[in-house]
Amino acid sequence: MSAAVGSGPSVGPVDSAATGAPVTVAPAQRTVNRPLALWLGLLGLGLLIGLGAWAYQLSQGLEVTNMRNPMMWGLYITLFMYFVGLSAGGLIVASAGRLFGAGGLKPIVRLAVLEATVAVLLAAIFVLPDIGRPDRAWHLFRYPNFHSPMMWDITIIVVYLLISLTYTWIYARADLARRGSWLALGTKASEAAQKRDERLKLVLAGVGLPAAILLHSITAWIFGLQISRGFWYTALMAPLFIASALVSGTGLMIILALIARRTRRVAFRDTLIAYMGKLLAIFVAVEAFLVFSEMLTAAYPGAGFEGDPVARLLTGRYAGFFWFEVGAGLIIPFALLVVPRLRRNLRWVAVASVLAMVGIFVHRLNIVINGLSFATVPYPPGVPVGTVQPVGTDSFALSLFYYPSWVEWLVALGVLCFGAIVFTVAAWRLPLREAVHG
Amino acid sequence: MVVDQERCVGCWSCCVICKSENDVPLGMWWNRIDTVGDALDTPYREQGELAMHWLPLACQHCENPACTRVCPVGATYSREDGLVMQDSGRCIGCRYCLVACPYGVRVFNWGRPERPTEFHTGMVEPRPLGTMEKCTFCVHRLPDGQVPSCVWSCPGQARIFGDLNDPQSRVSRLVRERGGYQLLEERGTDPRVFYLPPRRKRGLEP
Repeated sequence: MSAAVGSGPSVGPVDSAATGAPVTVAPAQRTVNRPLALWLGLLGLGLLIGLGAWAYQLSQGLEVTNMRNPMMWGLYITLFMYFVGLSAGGLIVASAGRLFGAGGLKPIVRLAVLEATVAVLLAAIFVLPDIGRPDRAWHLFRYPNFHSPMMWDITIIVVYLLISLTYTWIYARADLARRGSWLALGTKASEAAQKRDERLKLVLAGVGLPAAILLHSITAWIFGLQISRGFWYTALMAPLFIASALVSGTGLMIILALIARRTRRVAFRDTLIAYMGKLLAIFVAVEAFLVFSEMLTAAYPGAGFEGDPVARLLTGRYAGFFWFEVGAGLIIPFALLVVPRLRRNLRWVAVASVLAMVGIFVHRLNIVINGLSFATVPYPPGVPVGTVQPVGTDSFALSLFYYPSWVEWLVALGVLCFGAIVFTVAAWRLPLREAVHG
Repeated sequence: MVVDQERCVGCWSCCVICKSENDVPLGMWWNRIDTVGDALDTPYREQGELAMHWLPLACQHCENPACTRVCPVGATYSREDGLVMQDSGRCIGCRYCLVACPYGVRVFNWGRPERPTEFHTGMVEPRPLGTMEKCTFCVHRLPDGQVPSCVWSCPGQARIFGDLNDPQSRVSRLVRERGGYQLLEERGTDPRVFYLPPRRKRGLEP
């Protein structure tokens, strides 16, 4: 695997480039990086499996998923939302740091911007296996209907992807130029260029922050504007999505920062992790507040259009998911991060981050499943399932118990592996260390 | 269209003829009969008495449809005459319309169509895999002055088809005189299907 050929895992040409010294890579230094090769090999295998599963799905139709008319969106849309959130969260943290002078985050700004770019790319990719006719995806550009929140979202995703690519490139180009890489696209590394880049970074932070907020708000509005779905129809949807984006985005940033430091791609002190842990605690608290506020408002009347779905969430078939979200996704991470002694322990911060990320994923799953899986006209027999059912099974359903099929899991695995490959290769080839002044 | 709940006996004739008229594959229905209450074809208790009514349900051809609003490519749209149509050639299969529709009457082509026999009438184009389909009010029958299949096939004559814009038409009069209502009126979709509520009857002994 050619991608695995390069410098050793510790000190490579990329690291020395960050110091500004001219670098020449001697052929003798090009040895195989075994852990990296193994990692990329595994990811490549996962990608191939995912492609195979998608090909199978294309040949058979969406019948091979467990989605049906009474439960028409599933794992793909959940992951789409989740990755939009990871992307927006990462970029909000990076840009806010730049704009509002949270200078402590500077060592990982490039990592955050790269994460935001890869995550939004994955979100866009997750649309493809979800739609019944990916061969007609170009219709989105040929026949756009701007009344549709989905069209707003496609637009902002394209704009945002361009912004985050530019962002990544502006951060890296001076170092790339010093390294003599073609990726610098003719940029020169000079004192004046550096001054100009600093200004540009500030402008990009100013554009990137509202774009990230807009990106996730619009994604929220895909759901929150649907009056037929009582569980979704709330003005709190966009703020809730932003809060959950900040939780999952910060969680992922902490994990990626720790991995990147261990593999010597970035350098920072432990206080940065403690600082991010504190941010994460605040975001988790805001998320918990919004979830509670939403639930209370909907549940207070005791029943009805908005109350029934909440009652189902608290005590119904999927209640386990909700209580997991509350316990493992909100209470435990907050409890871990709010204690200063634990917050200064990298291991506990990492545990809290992973829990918060999983919690937000389950939160998104709850939004999709609980919002969709119950017929809006509540009389039997309910909605036609849409496929031929085995003898003795009903062709109609008032509510369908959804769990992803193996095809859905494998396609999702493939997309995740693709993202991990892109991220790994980019993190390995691009200069990630940001010069910290003072 | 007007649906008289007083006359509907829940026989599913309309649903079955709809399937053959429009060549709808197995597992998919454009038309269905919901039973008011908690269980299929079972009475429900109302003010201490038992009652049994049905709710025939197909596309409501809303004046303000939730589905046409959300379709990212405009594959579902309102015609001049108010019919809500679906363009299978443009649909990308995102199923956002299915999410948005408050009535659950749209169906998606999840897999390859299966049919007990080939009863293709040749009047309706087959819909491709991975696209959405729904009731068209039998749009292919209307130019000849014929009514939708579910209307003429109803043994109880529970369905009446006509022009709601004409205040003197039979449908308009029925809606006025019998207190016709729209399903989930509070969602603001303004359906072009009105239901005539059942009259109170001597209750069955519980």
